[in-house]
Amino acid sequence: MVDTLIIDGLSFALPLFVMAIGGIYSERSGITNLAIEGLQGFGAFFGALWAVVFSHFFNIPIQKLFYLALFLAMVGGMLFSILHALLCIKFKANQVISGVVINILSMALTVFLTTQINSIVFGAMSDKFQIGTSVRFSIPGLSQIPVLGGAFRNLYPFEIVILVIAILAAYILNKTKFGLRLRACGDNPHSVDAAGVEVSKVQFKAVLISGALSGLGGISFAYSISTNFSPAIYMGYGYLAIAALIFGNWNILPTLGACLLFGFARSGGYILGQILKMPSTFSDLIMTLPYVLTLLLLIFFSKSNRAPRALGEIYDKGKR
Amino acid sequence: MSIKKEDKRKGNIFTRIILKLLGNERWQHLTIPIFLIFLSFVAASIIIIALGKNPIGAFYNLLQGAGILPKPSYAGYKSMLTDFLSLLNYMTPMIFASLAVAIGLKGGLFNIGVSGQMLLAGFFATIIIGYSGLNWVVAKPLVLVVGVIAGGILGGIIGFLKYKFNINEVVSSIMFNYIVQYVLSFFIHSYYIDPVSRQSKYISDAARLTLVNLELIGLKMDISIGFVIAIILAIVLKIFFDKSRLGFEIKAVGANPKGAKYAGINVGKTMILTMVLSGVFAGLAGVTYYLGYFASIQPKVLPSVGFDGIAVALLGNTNPYGIIGASFIISIIDRGSTYMSSIAGVRKEIASVITGMILLFSACSAYIQYKIRARKDSLAYMAGKELEE
Repeated sequence: MVDTLIIDGLSFALPLFVMAIGGIYSERSGITNLAIEGLQGFGAFFGALWAVVFSHFFNIPIQKLFYLALFLAMVGGMLFSILHALLCIKFKANQVISGVVINILSMALTVFLTTQINSIVFGAMSDKFQIGTSVRFSIPGLSQIPVLGGAFRNLYPFEIVILVIAILAAYILNKTKFGLRLRACGDNPHSVDAAGVEVSKVQFKAVLISGALSGLGGISFAYSISTNFSPAIYMGYGYLAIAALIFGNWNILPTLGACLLFGFARSGGYILGQILKMPSTFSDLIMTLPYVLTLLLLIFFSKSNRAPRALGEIYDKGKR
Repeated sequence: MSIKKEDKRKGNIFTRIILKLLGNERWQHLTIPIFLIFLSFVAASIIIIALGKNPIGAFYNLLQGAGILPKPSYAGYKSMLTDFLSLLNYMTPMIFASLAVAIGLKGGLFNIGVSGQMLLAGFFATIIIGYSGLNWVVAKPLVLVVGVIAGGILGGIIGFLKYKFNINEVVSSIMFNYIVQYVLSFFIHSYYIDPVSRQSKYISDAARLTLVNLELIGLKMDISIGFVIAIILAIVLKIFFDKSRLGFEIKAVGANPKGAKYAGINVGKTMILTMVLSGVFAGLAGVTYYLGYFASIQPKVLPSVGFDGIAVALLGNTNPYGIIGASFIISIIDRGSTYMSSIAGVRKEIASVITGMILLFSACSAYIQYKIRARKDSLAYMAGKELEE
């Protein structure tokens, strides 16, 4: 019981976490990023597409392409995030609107392309790319610990990848020159400009990083919860990630806490449903748990939050 | 040398054409959206050509399917007129939804929760009035009333959370979208499900806001009562924003909350009122969708109209008249796509891609406007300099 709670909770929380890290990068640089939802979908589409294509034409079992798919999903998310960066930074569009536009376009485009490619390349009428679940593994020794051992059992490989990336991302954001400049762009872009650094370039990089990390999150969901790429990937995970980073006050470690909370609320809800032997219609009510929790937590935490000062404003050199 | 100078003064042919077409600021609110739609169709044509199909033929089929151009043949009791009336019926919830988004945008709030508010309003109107068996004289107005109240309350809650707890309205309305979607799915599945259609049970015709299969001049047509209400309310809304004090206050808060506060406007109250009003229109969209265009609710699905409304509101530049025009165009794309895919063999999903691209371009419309002005200024400056010489 505790095992399922931990295993399912982690496999939901960590992809959410990596998307939230991307969001933190983008928002700390001053660019509001609601596009995470669309970026994760496009990344998952891109990764799943090439995994399916390679395995079809080169007869490679799809499980062996796991790391390639992960990498390509990051590339896909990054490519699509160029749109958000261009719209926000070059075309000075409203960043909230741009984010929502990207989400709608991403959904329309990936659904269209998936059905189209399925019918042309594979001759099938389907809006899905089947990729199955990835191979899972347990860490010997650690997984024998009572109660908490579940955290080391039945792991998806992407969970390790995400943890490594998270540590790296925290280091870059808080300890390097690039991270310092990025954070300064979100709080006081004029100081960055005065130091002779191009604000728009830093922001562009930040949005691209957020695109890549969103793509990684998306493909992780595709490889675990849904076992395929389909329009069902647009479940609002991107928005949950944004809610998580708002609780986390735009810092990486507290955001991890928020993501874990969502993950355990979700897996806990399912287990609760099983224990109480509720009929299946009640699963709809359980599905609302993470969202209700989000709202409640927002009510308690939003007031004391401090968003990056220049968030959502496009940097204008002439403005004082 | 002289040719080069001439070239510099007037710009090359391409920029000259664009400036000629889009330069007149009085008409920019019309010309720029049309230009954006044109761009989107060019982009869609490239996709269609890449698929080896003929884009002109496909777009022609699109118009035929929507009832703008005659089809080669019609089934019994059908004609171009019935197709066109169906288009208006389809368009009604979209007008309301886009007006809801536009009201929010005017007040500086982004109501992405229109879909959830629509679903909530449609659900309550369905269970309270739709299943009641009331006479149509009472039922039809009551459907509107219930829709307005349900939508307004949910909108108001989002506004209140923003004002009281500083919760970003985008995040909270998305959370409400999911909560409403799942909770209502639970209730529909538990109490109101039709086991055959897997949807909620059909409502009585008396409560429906569209007169279905009305036999007139040998045709069976769907006449939307909601459409007339939508047009009237769009005009009222335009006057409200141009002439009334509250309309002005909403716009002032949207343009600059700090400035509005110094001017003595109660920003928090105005913010909540904006969301209530936006929710009211979303509620109307919900009842004309679930108790007009449809007569039942599909559980666990948010109406996509609520999201298309964002595109339409942007395309219509948040102007109610512009929104009517933009709804018309987007409805044609949506409605015609089924016929287009059956005749031209282009997949139906291209319709939402076109809509998505229109949206993408309209997000840049302010930039285009700015660029055109900058270009005109620089040309005028250069011309003036030459005169001096």
